[in-house]
This record gives sequence, C-alpha cells and structure tokens, in this order.
Amino acid sequence: MAQDYAEWLAINVLNEQQLVSYRSLSRALKVHSNLAKQMLYDFHHKQNAKKPGTVHATYLITGIKRTERPATNGTHSQRDGEDTVMQSSPLLPSSSALKPGEHDDETPNAVQTVMLVKQESLELAKAKFESITGIHIYSLQAKGLGDIQSLTECNRKIAVDYASEDPLEVWKQYGTIQNPDVKRRTQRRQPPPPPAPVAKAAVAKAKPPVPTAKPTTLKKEGSKDSEEAGPASNTSAKAPTEPARKPPTNKRQSSDIFKSFAKGKPKTKTEQESQDSAGSTPKAAPDDEPIAGFSDEEDADEGDADIIEEAPKAVDGKSKKEREAELQAMMEQEDEVMEDAAGVEPDHAEADVDEGAIDKPDPQAEEPKEIVQVESGRRRGRRRVMKKKTVKDEDGYLVTKEEATWESFSEDEPAPKRIKVPTTTSMSKSTTAAPGKKGAKPGGGNIMSFFSKK
Amino acid sequence: MNGDSHADLLQPPSNIEPTVLERTASHYTPLPTYQLPKGEHRHYQQQYADMYFARLAQLKPAVEQIASEAWADFEIGGETASRKDRVLDVRQGELCWVAGTVYMEMPLKPNVLEDIGKEHWIAAPPPRVKYDTGVGLGGDSERGAHAGGGKGLAGAQIMLEDESGRLRLTGGYLSGGLLVTGAIVAVMGTENSDGDFEVLDLRVPDLPRQPPRWETEDGDAALQGKSVTKKRPSSGKVAIISGLGVSGVEGDTLLLDLLLEYLLGESTDPASQQQAASISRLIIAGNSLSHSSPIPSREELAAATKKGGRKTYGYDSASYNAAPTDHLDQWLATLLPSIPITLLPGEQDPTSTSLPQQPIHAAMFPHSRAYMNPPTAPEGPGWFDSTTNPAEFSADGWRFLGTGGQPVDDVYKYLPDCEERLEMMEAMLRWRLTAPTAPDTLWCYPFQDGDQFVMKECPHVFLVGNQPKFETTVVEGPLGQQVRVLAVPRFKETGELILLDCETLVPEIVRFEVLDEG
Repeated sequence: MAQDYAEWLAINVLNEQQLVSYRSLSRALKVHSNLAKQMLYDFHHKQNAKKPGTVHATYLITGIKRTERPATNGTHSQRDGEDTVMQSSPLLPSSSALKPGEHDDETPNAVQTVMLVKQESLELAKAKFESITGIHIYSLQAKGLGDIQSLTECNRKIAVDYASEDPLEVWKQYGTIQNPDVKRRTQRRQPPPPPAPVAKAAVAKAKPPVPTAKPTTLKKEGSKDSEEAGPASNTSAKAPTEPARKPPTNKRQSSDIFKSFAKGKPKTKTEQESQDSAGSTPKAAPDDEPIAGFSDEEDADEGDADIIEEAPKAVDGKSKKEREAELQAMMEQEDEVMEDAAGVEPDHAEADVDEGAIDKPDPQAEEPKEIVQVESGRRRGRRRVMKKKTVKDEDGYLVTKEEATWESFSEDEPAPKRIKVPTTTSMSKSTTAAPGKKGAKPGGGNIMSFFSKK
Repeated sequence: MNGDSHADLLQPPSNIEPTVLERTASHYTPLPTYQLPKGEHRHYQQQYADMYFARLAQLKPAVEQIASEAWADFEIGGETASRKDRVLDVRQGELCWVAGTVYMEMPLKPNVLEDIGKEHWIAAPPPRVKYDTGVGLGGDSERGAHAGGGKGLAGAQIMLEDESGRLRLTGGYLSGGLLVTGAIVAVMGTENSDGDFEVLDLRVPDLPRQPPRWETEDGDAALQGKSVTKKRPSSGKVAIISGLGVSGVEGDTLLLDLLLEYLLGESTDPASQQQAASISRLIIAGNSLSHSSPIPSREELAAATKKGGRKTYGYDSASYNAAPTDHLDQWLATLLPSIPITLLPGEQDPTSTSLPQQPIHAAMFPHSRAYMNPPTAPEGPGWFDSTTNPAEFSADGWRFLGTGGQPVDDVYKYLPDCEERLEMMEAMLRWRLTAPTAPDTLWCYPFQDGDQFVMKECPHVFLVGNQPKFETTVVEGPLGQQVRVLAVPRFKETGELILLDCETLVPEIVRFEVLDEG
C-alpha cells in the first residue's frame, strides 16, 4: 500500500493535473480519511523535496482564533445603553438577563474555527489562531490553486463516481462516524417506477402464455444486460438497458410523443410472442417495453447523475445516436428502421401482429375477453364495441344491425364503461372491422401502424 | 512541528489502525403541534377574527391572574383599581384595569385593500424594514426610507381590543414598551377626557408551565404501559444551523462542503473528530434553499411583465431549475447515513408560505427520501424528519421550540428603535405566542378551534433561525422556568454552526472559513 498511494498520486496530481482532496484519495484507495491525509502530506513533502514547487497544497486548520473584539457574545451593539434599559424592563417585569451590565460578565461562548487556506497563506492563517488543535492537508494540486472555490469539484466528483456505493456498508472504511441507529427504507435510491407495476398489471390481465413469455423476456434481457453492460452491440444495447433501467430511473413519465415513435423499435426476443396466436396482447406487450425503453433512454440521455449503474453512461452515446437515426429513418421507410435495429424478423412479427388483428378471424374468435392494458395512464388494447352495420336486404330494404366487433383502442383517461355484449349478436368478421379500424384510429394511438404494411 | 500533537496528520502514514468512531445516540420525539390536517380537512372558509377571540379566551385567564396579583392592593389617591370585564366598560376618571388584545395601527403596514386595488395580490408585499414612518436611529442610513427624526411611536396608534370593542391607549408608559399586534396584555389606568385610556401599568401572561426534562418520553412510555426508565444515557450535542441558502450558483458551496466533512467526522484531526462524534442530531432551521418560495416577489413579477412575455400567474414550469434542490438533496443524503436530521422550512423554501408552514414534501428529496418514514405507515419519528415551521419536538428530553425566523422578523418590523432580537424573542415567550403578529401581518392558517400559536408549555430551548448574528441568553420565568434562547445566524453569510450541549444547554460555535487572501 505504501507504493500505491505515491503512484496513484503521481498519476493523478502530476500527470493528469487533477485536484485531489483527501476524500478523493480515501475513496480511490479505500483507506481511512486520516490515513489519506497523511499520505497526502508524505507525497507533498517528498515531491517538494525533490523539486520545490511541483505540488501545491491547501490546509485545513482547526483551532481557536484570536478574538478581535473584547465582547464576542454579541447581544450588545454599539448603542446607548439607555434605550435598551427603557425598552426591556417595564413591560417584561421578570426580565432577568437583559440588563446591559450582565453581558460583559458572561463568559463569551466558545468559538472554534475551521479554516481552509492555501499553502501560500498558511503562516498568515496560523498567526490568526490563538491555539491550534489540528492541521492537515486538505487537497493537492499540481499548479497553484486559482479559485479556492474550485475545491467543491472534488466532492462533486466523489458523489458522481462513487454513487453506487452503499454508504451504510462502505463508508466505515473511510472513517465516517458510524451511527448504529440509522434507519433506512429498503428501496434504495428511487422508488419503484410506475410502469413496472403497470406493466405487471397488464401482464396479469393478459392470457397465460403471454405472462410467462414476458417475464422470461425480462429475465433474459436482464441477464443480457449484465453480460453486455459495456459497449454492446447496438440492438442489444437498447433492449437490455430498458428493463434494467426501468427500476432505477422511471421518475419521469415518458412523454407521449416518444411513445408514438417507439412503435418502430424492435424487440429482439418477442418474435416467439408475436407469432403466438393471441394477436393483440403481445403487440401491446412490446409496445410497453419499447415505449418504456424510449423513456428510459431519454432519461439516460439527459445524463442523470442519479442513475446508479455505470452501464448507462457507456451506452448513452449509442442510444442517443441510435434514436436519432431511428427517428430519421422512421420518416422514410419503416423497414429500414427495423433492419437497423434487430433484423427483419421483428418487423415481420409486427406486421404479422397487425395483420393478425385484421385477417385472422379464428384466432380472434378465441379471445372473448377484453384486453385492457394500462400504460402510463393510457388504456390500450382490444375491446368489444357495438358497431352499426347497414346492409341492403334481398327485398331492397336497408337494414341496420348492431354487431359486436373488436377494435383496438387507446384512452388517455380511464376507459369509459365497457359496452355490454348482447347474447344474440354474432361476432362479425373482420371485414367490417378493417375499414373501421383503418379509418378511425390507426391502431392504438401509434402513428406507426398507419405506415405499417397491411 | 512534528513534535506537536496538533500536527499528527502532517506526517507520513503510520501503521496504526485508525479507530472507528460511533456517534452518540439521539432521543427524539417530534410533536405534531403545528401540523395542519391534510387535504379536504383543511378549511379556509373561516374568518381570522375567530383566531383572535380564541387567543384571547386562551390567554385571558393567565394574564388576569397575574394582573390581579399585581394590582390587588394598588392605590393612587385612595382609589384602588377595579377590574373591568370588557374593554368598553371603562369609565372616565375611574382607575381600573382590563385585559385585551393589542392592536397597532401603523401607516406602513401592508394593507390588503390597497394591494388589491393595485392588483398586487399575486405577489408578495414589498419588504419593509419597519412599519412605522418617520422613525429611525437619527441618521442611521441603514433605515433607508425610514430614516428621519423622532424616536417613539410616531404615526402609530395602539389600541386594546376584545369582543366588545376597541380602546385607544396613550401615555408615556407605552413609549418605553415592546408591543405588537396580537399580544394579550392587561393594562391599568384610567380614561381621560379624550376617550383614550391612559396607561399606568401593564402586565403580560408570562411564561407558561415548563415540563421537566424527559417528560414527553416518560409520558409516552407510561401511556404505552412500558416502565419508565429512570436512568437515561448522557446526551451528546445538537448541531443547529440555518440559512444554508443553496442556490443553483456553484460559486459558494465550499462552506457547505466543509460543514459536511466536519459533521461526517472525516475532516479535521482526531480530537475534533471525537468531538464531532458527540453531535447526535442536526437541526436545520429554515431557508435551506435561497430562492425557492412559490410566491414570486414583486420585483420578479414586474420583471416578468416588463419583458413582455406571457404573464404567468404564479408558476412558470419551463423556468424551473432543479439544481438547488438536487444539490441540497445530495448534501442531505450524504449526511444522513451518519447523523439524523430535522429540517424546518423557512421563508424561501418550497412549501406553503403561510404559517404554520407544512413539512417540505418527500418528493423534493429523491435520495434522502429513503431515510424518511413512508407516508402511509409512520411508525415513530423518521431518521430524516422534515417537519413544520414552527416546530415543537423533544430532543434528548428537552423540549425544543424552533422557528425559521419569520415571526421574529415580523415582530422586528413593528418595533421602532429596537434592534435587540433577543428581547423580541423574550417578549414572545412572555406573551406565550410563537407568532404574535399572525394573522395581522404574517400570513397564517385561519385556525378555528384555538390559536395553535399559543404556547401551552414552556420550552427548554427556543431557537430562531435566519437571524443576522448569533445571540443567546437565558430567560427566566416566575415559576423558575429557564429557557435558553438562541438566535441562529445564517450559515451562508457567517459560516457558523451552533453546537448545543444537551446536558448543560450551553451553546458553542464552530465557524467555517475559507481564507481567500493572497
């Protein structure tokens, strides 16, 4: 350890010309703060013995300063004693402590001073003290310190670099005063984000195959994330960071605008889901993840220092570039976007999903239940709606029938009351649904379905 | 230099295993005195006059008892003072005494009708140094517009009021006095030919009963059926600070860093670190942020409208700067693993502007939130207690009453020629009012059932934040009560931290400085 600190300091102070405080040193080398202070002194001493003036230091002096004025207990301002007496005594009959004479007799309160000085002013500062309880080196830097306020940079850096450390576990080694009574809730930094429980709620409502597939997806991507934390390939970088990012960062709700762009994003592992017979639900499921993913990336892009994992930092640049490329590509052809991300398969999957909604009556018949998913306050999914259909009869009469059809919907507010299904009407074939669907709302509020091939 | 003990850290690393310091435990019980009901249970339809009547009803018995003891055998010219029930019952030429609420009419007091007339109701009223005209310290330029001749209460009228009516007070006696609107007093004198009451003597309710140390904890234990512990461990010190003034500007946070490191026990030498380990709790008394009050000041609003931009009433979300709260949150979250913190909001903090200010919401502290109690199941005091302003709590057995400074600052504006903030604090204790000038010139919640600002029990420590300098004294009461009064200075300006020893209640100061010469 003896050599480590000299090396470390040589690199950081001399070569990289950084400002190193005893706290940064203690965190970097995992040593007690007092030890770090001694290390700083040693290095400073040795370097300046070799070549004077190479390393500059700031010192922290603790002690009792010389008092400048006789009465440090400052109740008395330089005013007439008369006014004080007149005002205090009559109305406050038992006022005991406010007679002017008394204050001079009271011993002034003990004042301890903690002073930070640059090495140039050290002797000057020491002269101001009546008695010194301790001096130690606060920081080292290669050149003279211009603005002493720049020392705040050290602590800021510590907060950013070591944000992932749990204070209750590791700070003991740094010499922080431990407190055995400290109470902390189990949630680490940020509270669980709304989309995670929301997505779980959606999953709960969906059919059985989907829930099993979805958690496995999450798990797989979770493991993927741990493998590919650093510079990962473009596609997998996006996907794994999404679920990993979901727990820590979802303080902000994704803006709706990105939700609509998010439709174009692929899902690497959802091919099997999309080819599932239950058409709409997996479509909604990938909707959730890319959407949440976008919002997470948006968060990451803002370089939020609160994010614990260092992985996001590495992935930041890529995802932003990625996203921009995607947005551009989206304006042209959706296919390109798909290829850019994960290959053509997911694209087909998406298209399949859409077509499945329209052209596959049989699978449709299997879903008697309404599927409603809540995502960030929007309810979306497929629901049963009464639609009026006017047909010309054999006799030439126009007959209007009410039929129950499935359509996908998306609500900003909680969905209105569900429409009751009369027992006699039959499920209409998708032909009526298709034009209705195409014209009214392009699939669940996503513009992307408007561009998708039908 | 190497021989002195103070330079122990100025030597190469030794192989001695450094000791791990442990902090003294803090016994803490917050009292919900100033918490307002939440949500729909908080009503604003009631009138403020009810507050005055409630205050008078609560304090009248106390002041009348003191007054009757003092004046029972008072005689002037063979006449004894008789007690009058109502203010309007005084008769001309008759020596009598009566109790009521003081009301001071001053020309520069904020006038709500004027404000509405000028459409200034959306912004805070302009800050006044003093509410009185033509009064100053004879040429003292600090007074600004108020500098001028004359001492005394020129331009102000003092009246005594109760449910029946108002009585104007005069007399040379009053000019020596400390009186603000809202104080409950008993005056003795007679009515003169003008219809004014000439005051000969005046009495205040004085300090209420003071609970003995540990009464709150013992009482709670008794209620819960636990045995009352006779022996308590010796307490450490309580650190009190105020006016951190965190703004988004990064140029002035070095003092905060020094304070942080000192409290964590990382900086300074082992002897001082040992001392820091005896600090069991940190109390932050207001104004942790420098500019986050939701009400824009008049100057801000004028600037906003002058720019020609859209006149947004109240809050422009695009201009929100999260840097100050973020910085404060990080600072608190760094301290919390080691020391429990009690946070009182102040005038410039992002919470309600009317007293009693409600706790700063946990949403402002994403990191420190983990140390707070969950909102749904508060079991006992939280490690990080974001509390009301004013706040009453019991720390290490002593009853603390703390405010962020607004009541004292407001009382200051009523008193011409008086700079002695300690006197004002003492007066507030003797009037038994935490915020005497509410609701007259201090915005507050219209209490319906009783004035919450009436002190029912005398605190052991009365601390007021955001004062210009550190001052302290001990106020004594008629029944032997002793209150340590502390005026806590603004940290941003003075760099002073107050350490109050919880065994002796004697404060000491730790001052943080950065030497910036050369």
